[in-house]
Amino acid sequence: MQDLLYFSQQLINGLTIGSAYALIAIGYTMVYGIIGMINFAHGEIYMIGAYTALIAITGLTALGLAWLPLILIVALLCAMIVSSSMGWAVERVAYRPVRGRHRLIPLISAIGMSIFLQNYVHLAQGSRNVGFPALIEGGFNFSADGAFEMSLSYMQITIFVTTLICMTALSLFISRSRTGRACRAVSQDLGMASLLGIDTNRIISATFIIGAALAAVAGLLLGMYYGSVDPLFGFIAGLKAFTAAVLGGIGSIPGAMLGGLILGVSESMTSGYLSGEYKDVVSFGLLILILLFKPTGLLGKPEVEKI
Amino acid sequence: MTTSLKKLVTAVSASVALMGAGHAAAEIQIGIAGPMTGPVAQYGDMQFSGARMAIEQINAAGGVMGEQLVAVEYDDVCDPKQAVTVANRLVNDGVQYVIGHLCSSSTQPASDIYEDEGILMVTPASTSPEITERGYELVFRTIGLDSMQGPVAGNYIASQNPERVAIVHDKQQYGEGIATAVRDTLKDKGIEIAMFEGITAGDKDFSSLVTKLKQADVDYVYYGGYHPELGLILRQARQADLDAKFMGPEGVGNKDINTIAGEAAEGLFVTLPPSFDTKAENQELVKAFEAKGEDPSGPFVLTSYAAVQLVADGIEAANSKDPFDVAEALRSGSFETPIGTVQYDKAGDMKSFEFVVYEWHSDGSKTPVN
Repeated sequence: MQDLLYFSQQLINGLTIGSAYALIAIGYTMVYGIIGMINFAHGEIYMIGAYTALIAITGLTALGLAWLPLILIVALLCAMIVSSSMGWAVERVAYRPVRGRHRLIPLISAIGMSIFLQNYVHLAQGSRNVGFPALIEGGFNFSADGAFEMSLSYMQITIFVTTLICMTALSLFISRSRTGRACRAVSQDLGMASLLGIDTNRIISATFIIGAALAAVAGLLLGMYYGSVDPLFGFIAGLKAFTAAVLGGIGSIPGAMLGGLILGVSESMTSGYLSGEYKDVVSFGLLILILLFKPTGLLGKPEVEKI
Repeated sequence: MTTSLKKLVTAVSASVALMGAGHAAAEIQIGIAGPMTGPVAQYGDMQFSGARMAIEQINAAGGVMGEQLVAVEYDDVCDPKQAVTVANRLVNDGVQYVIGHLCSSSTQPASDIYEDEGILMVTPASTSPEITERGYELVFRTIGLDSMQGPVAGNYIASQNPERVAIVHDKQQYGEGIATAVRDTLKDKGIEIAMFEGITAGDKDFSSLVTKLKQADVDYVYYGGYHPELGLILRQARQADLDAKFMGPEGVGNKDINTIAGEAAEGLFVTLPPSFDTKAENQELVKAFEAKGEDPSGPFVLTSYAAVQLVADGIEAANSKDPFDVAEALRSGSFETPIGTVQYDKAGDMKSFEFVVYEWHSDGSKTPVN
């Protein structure tokens, strides 16, 4: 019983982190699915989302607002708006001018963008860790007779539920809406879609904006869950989310969700049963294994060479 | 014709160089190298504020051998690679004395360069024993060693009769070093170490670690590392209702841990150098800091002040500006500083230095524990 509780606790920890990874991974996978490039500035967009949310929360609290749901919703909206415009701007500045060139060029311009954004936040917000107020506290505790008590905090529930809502909304959007259909068409064949009258530039911008908005949601959630943000916050998270996207099959949206969850759970299980020192070894080792044996990822479609 | 012209040019440039040297000799450059930015910049602030104050006061009192001290400041971001770059820049700038670095992992690679290039280094904060273990002539410190701090922490934990203790560290030179010293002390006392584990510095998610600590049912957790990680561990432990006491080295003891951990920082135990700013003989100096709007209570403010003062006193005592003579003078003399009477052993460590256990509070204050 003890062991089962311990296992479930580690599973909850892993799923929490994993679902947040999945939210960030969507941004990588959608951009890749549509233009076949990796947006390395995506981790920074997530970090900027977290900072914006923090600034909004601090501002609203200073104004004397006390009703928590309102604070959270306003903070979330601010973060999504700022991050989305960042996502849009990154595409305009770092991608559109070099689109269609050699593959390395947009890659390098994205890395440049990422370094720029990181240093910009360094200068604007300082390099120190900034504490995030704990807004959602408490939770449920489950315990058998023994000493170990499993806890499921309200914050963890919030992360699951929000991720679930975002993912459902995104799936509906992609499968049902007009823009969603256009997105799928562009990802299948960009040239053909444009011949059929789809404004491909608008669709590509939309992809960046959606990815950035979801990253901002993750920024607010993880900022509150962890308890602090710093300008390097996005780097590791971006790397992990990228791994999740590749793991699940880059270009595939369900793949990003699956990859995120697998990564999160494998990290927490490694820390829980082996040692925290091996956490990154296992998650990146997993990436190498997948790339060796199933290069398209778990749910990725094998790439068909077009003639 | 060409040869004489060449000779002329050489002569002119030589004399210009000499004039340059003559000009530089009117002042003594003191390099201050530490983190001005990055995650542990608040310790850098302490270092720079202490060293600047010392330079100011020594200059106001007439300087050293009639010459003024000039501070040259370098930012190493607490990054070993950056520290090496800084050390090379110092060499190029012709600086002969360095106050720094702060992080042990920066001090160690930089000190290799200083020793080779004949630059005297006094670190006000690096506690890793290895720094002075290599038989270097020009390396000194105004702080104790992990091998002194670890036992103080270990003995304190042992005195509380805990049943099980967990030790966590950040896998860096400083954190792991001190964690190992604590572990060895506790083992000697026969206390069970339930866990000895590393985390990755810069990580944010410690939920798995906290769950593991809960499962291991420990009374005490010792953390070797800096405040950004411990702050998060404390906060996440509180959220998960982990009922254990935490303790850390001086690397966690600054007010930034309160902004991260909030209420969870209450009751944390920290080993720190004694509060030199509360000593009666330092009150005049404390007033001088307060007049400038600076806080002298940080652990490295007065150790940095003392480091500058020791360099100045060393130059006076040696009656020479050659770093090797100054080092010789520091080893043979005894100096009165705000951190007490300083005498050096052969390795460059102070012959006596004590760490004190404090209890940290959620408002950023601390009270000594007996």
